[in-house]
Amino acid sequence: MATIELAHPASHIHPAPEGFVRKYIFSLDHKVIAVQYFITSGLFFVLAGLLAELIRVQLMQPNNTVLDPATFNEAFSVHGSAMVWLVVIPILTGGFGNLIMPLQIGARDVAFPWLNMLSFWLFPPAGILLFGSFLLGAPQAGWTEYPPISVLASPGTSMWCAAIFLIGVSSTITGLNFLVTIIKMRAPGMTWTRMPLFVWASAVTAFLNFIATANLSISLAVLFIQRTFHVPFYDETRGGSPVLWQHMFWFYSHPAVYIMILPAFGIVSEIIPTMVRRPIFGYKAIAYSSVAIALVSFMVWAHHMFTSGLAQWIQLPFMIMTMIVAIPTGVKVFSWVASLWGGRIRFTSPLLFVLGFLSTFTFGGITGVMLASVPADVHEHGTYFIVAHLHYVLFGGSMFGVFAGLYYWWPKMTGRMLDERLGKIHFWLMFVAFNCTFLPMHWLGLLGMPRRVATYDPIYWHTNLFVSISAFVLGASMLLFAYNAIHSARYGKRAGPNPWGARTLEWMIPSPPPYYNFKELPVVLSGPYDYGKPLPYRDVDPDMIEAAAMPAY
Amino acid sequence: MASHALTLDDRAYAEQRDIRLLGFLFFLISDSIFFGSLIFAYLYLRNAAPVWPPPGIERPDVYLAAVNSIVLFGSGVTMHVAMEGMRRDRRGQFVGFIVATIVLGTLFVSGQIYEYWHILPVTKWAATTFGASFYTLTGMHGFHVSVGVIFLITVLIQTLRGTYTKDRHFGLTAATLYWHFVDIIWVALFFLFYVY
Amino acid sequence: MDAHIIERIIALIGAIVVALFALKALREEWPKKNLDDHVTKIMMGLLTIGCLIVIIVAIGFAGRA
Repeated sequence: MATIELAHPASHIHPAPEGFVRKYIFSLDHKVIAVQYFITSGLFFVLAGLLAELIRVQLMQPNNTVLDPATFNEAFSVHGSAMVWLVVIPILTGGFGNLIMPLQIGARDVAFPWLNMLSFWLFPPAGILLFGSFLLGAPQAGWTEYPPISVLASPGTSMWCAAIFLIGVSSTITGLNFLVTIIKMRAPGMTWTRMPLFVWASAVTAFLNFIATANLSISLAVLFIQRTFHVPFYDETRGGSPVLWQHMFWFYSHPAVYIMILPAFGIVSEIIPTMVRRPIFGYKAIAYSSVAIALVSFMVWAHHMFTSGLAQWIQLPFMIMTMIVAIPTGVKVFSWVASLWGGRIRFTSPLLFVLGFLSTFTFGGITGVMLASVPADVHEHGTYFIVAHLHYVLFGGSMFGVFAGLYYWWPKMTGRMLDERLGKIHFWLMFVAFNCTFLPMHWLGLLGMPRRVATYDPIYWHTNLFVSISAFVLGASMLLFAYNAIHSARYGKRAGPNPWGARTLEWMIPSPPPYYNFKELPVVLSGPYDYGKPLPYRDVDPDMIEAAAMPAY
Repeated sequence: MASHALTLDDRAYAEQRDIRLLGFLFFLISDSIFFGSLIFAYLYLRNAAPVWPPPGIERPDVYLAAVNSIVLFGSGVTMHVAMEGMRRDRRGQFVGFIVATIVLGTLFVSGQIYEYWHILPVTKWAATTFGASFYTLTGMHGFHVSVGVIFLITVLIQTLRGTYTKDRHFGLTAATLYWHFVDIIWVALFFLFYVY
Repeated sequence: MDAHIIERIIALIGAIVVALFALKALREEWPKKNLDDHVTKIMMGLLTIGCLIVIIVAIGFAGRA
């Protein structure tokens, strides 16, 4: 092997930031920015979750009057918008992406730290604008805001446009930033096929972020100018078309759902090899299938529009492409199961959440393939079947993935372990409550209960009551995590650099990491999942080698 | 980065420059998606309309737009010559041609404004889908050109201050790529609105 | 109508001149290997195509007054 170049764009260590503001408020450090994202998204998760609980209170009885219909519409619209844009995307890309990706590639920071900081600081104003829209009359047409309702009703819709536009800019910049970082700033010796799978996921997500989000920004800008200047893009009385909005919106929003799940896939791919202490099965299959998913994701958007009057010859290719996009995901699921099969599994909290993810996400994926079929979708579109599907993939998939990642990387971020017993109780409560909440929605939908309704036919009453009670338990289960997090700050066991005995680079530095990440940039000699072989890094601390061989948990 | 660039050694500078170039190119790609979206909307609306242009709207004057296009394309060439001037360390050539580019860019924007005012009044923006797509797209483009002019003026000022050298002038490279990008978008828009 | 003739002549001559310069630039840049040089080459090529469209319009084969 030829001599490996050791100098690196950011190989010098610049002086530490000084002062509270530079260190914690306007920080350029990707790890601090990650924590900022976690805290902000966490806050919006609580707010959006409360909106969900409010919705479930209203739906406890068929003709309830807790919320009037307009307020109910506002509640589900802001709930959906906040969860997609203020919770899931920021936690996965801004939170985990920022925290872990640069560490895993052996870099000192991202390619454009100032842009990274800007990306974060666009986020709180966007959230304030979104929730502030309640003051003027929040949007009422769901997170999808179809015209004509989005054009005609609710002054707050313009605030919604502005809020999501800001988030869009933030996402685009982050995507650009992360992809350049991964392409240009990997440690010497880290070829693409020696990268951890979370980095693969981050790279593909970053690509989706900066390509798809620009499209969203334009759709929102056009909606805004239509509302403000009465320009007739979406107005069918003057030659426009509401279906145009649907095309433009879904061309972004379908790749967006992959933005929301790919990082979670990456997290799962990291946790499994660590907890089984075996190489992951099908590294290349998992890595390349992410690329396949990203590319195909741009070709399926109209499956959200099967009831919008599209010509049949258009519907057919979208149906086929939608079924095809499930295949690379299936490849991943099989690879993960094969990675666990026959292994000696350590059932730690992160792994439990991974198992929760595998079961619920796969279930959601299956209902997705059901929905891909046009005749089935025509029956199920706009019903609770869709609500069930989307929550199985977004909550069962993304959120279980988020919690898996939080339990896994908490010691790295804070230097303390989360309490294992509390974690297990949290998992079981959340898993059971989640399934009790969303499983019945499948048959509610099949039996014909529409979504986005404040009142419903009394034949659906008892199921809805059961769902609502389960939803309250689900919400309460989050309190366990909050308590665990706060409790661990003082009483959590101190974690060393590598409590789980993993082999990726973030575990080769102290917990929490110093601001410069690596004292000396590592040189990578092979892939990170070859348990049983010596650590593939040159010049790593002997303590780190020992920690990797003998996990504490 | 500007004065910091001069303190880095050659290899560190080259790496930084590569990173920034890639980032800037990704930015231009995402900007293309911006325009692509609006072009999609225009084509969709045009296809959905029973007659184009809608009744009451005349197609804008293609010959004036052709002259304006040449002004913009010419500015692309002058920009290239200016860049060559920087690369060959010929200050006079650089300053002269970047000023020419700025003048031509400003002329283009003025031509657009003239067209909006006299040929096809902006009051028609909200009247029909033609106005909607035409003004939004060309307006978005004109905004990009204006930002480009400001970018070029900034680069000119920085050069006069001595920030760039023959081998280290990434700001200028970025400005040149941006200017060419804006030019190419206009090729598409001219074709889509005035020819097709 | 007069204004149109002048505009067409200016557009035609201008387009030919600019296209020639763009092609000259393209030929000079051709051997360069850097990423931004590749992008410049593509841009110059597309610029030439833009000039061709203007020439076709100015001659009168396409576009409407």
